[in-house]
Amino acid sequence: MTCVGWDGERLTVAPDLAGRIMEIDPRCLHGRAVPGAYAHVCALAGDRARLRFDEPEVQQVRRDAMAWWISLLGDSLVCLSMLAVDESRCAGAITVTLDPGWFEQDPFARLFGGTGVETDVFCAVAPPAGPVVERYGSVPWPGGSFTR
Amino acid sequence: MAVRGGRNAGPVRSDSSTMSADLHPGTRFPNLELPDHTGRERRLSELAAGDPVALVTSRGWWCPKEQRYMRELCRLQDEFEVAYARIVVLSVDPPEVQSAFRAGLGARFTFLSDAERRWIEPLELLERTDTTHRPFLPAGFTLFPDLTIHRAYNGYWYLGRATLEELRRDMREISRQVRDPWEPPA
Repeated sequence: MTCVGWDGERLTVAPDLAGRIMEIDPRCLHGRAVPGAYAHVCALAGDRARLRFDEPEVQQVRRDAMAWWISLLGDSLVCLSMLAVDESRCAGAITVTLDPGWFEQDPFARLFGGTGVETDVFCAVAPPAGPVVERYGSVPWPGGSFTR
Repeated sequence: MAVRGGRNAGPVRSDSSTMSADLHPGTRFPNLELPDHTGRERRLSELAAGDPVALVTSRGWWCPKEQRYMRELCRLQDEFEVAYARIVVLSVDPPEVQSAFRAGLGARFTFLSDAERRWIEPLELLERTDTTHRPFLPAGFTLFPDLTIHRAYNGYWYLGRATLEELRRDMREISRQVRDPWEPPA
């Protein structure tokens, strides 16, 4: 399981995980990190701030991500991922870009308010092709595959 | 052209065709590498990402038949989004035009741009009767995750295109072969 830590101000990764621990699409942290990026963390530090992945609003933000958020970010996008707290619930999402100028438009901020932070730890991941919004097993969207 | 048969059934061509002889059931569709509607280079295999794919070649945004068919695909995306199946559209429109067309449609699937016509000739899918736009012949291919062609559809005439029912059927047939187990575990 690949996780990030979030205390409301600081974003951390193993081995220095701190704050609220949330699972992320593993591709975001396994590879060559992109320096000088910005992460928009749409999650709160408190453990009670969570929603079921199957809630209509959580499905809709994934549709919005596919419909226009990823297109809006264009080449600036480094990676994005929902943040999972267990097999059925999410704590929000994170979008990593080279330009924080669009963060105010982030559809994931409709779930939980967003905070922008500088980061050097995330890897470039090709955006999802669409239109699939369902998760592959319990891997945070858009990660995972049923390929063996 | 109407083509029957799947990977297990064996390829069957029903008539002569304007399509490349290599783009028939049982053969592997080329792993295209082209910019998507955002301008980002993508590989077709990366877009498939382990799922079956409905790949549609399209004349372009200006064609009323394409506008009609793309709206049909947008109806289907509401099912594919939960069915682990992909839709990819290939045209000669530049990425910025595709992006605007896609947004107007409300599409959530990927468009690939062959504005430089890198693939249209090798695929033998150039619509030679349109010397103004030099677009893709409208065609459709249902693909296994490894890009093996399950069925091919010639959409030169609108009614030759795959209907939504045919695309559902093809995705079911492919999924039945690649989703293991297909039957629920006892």
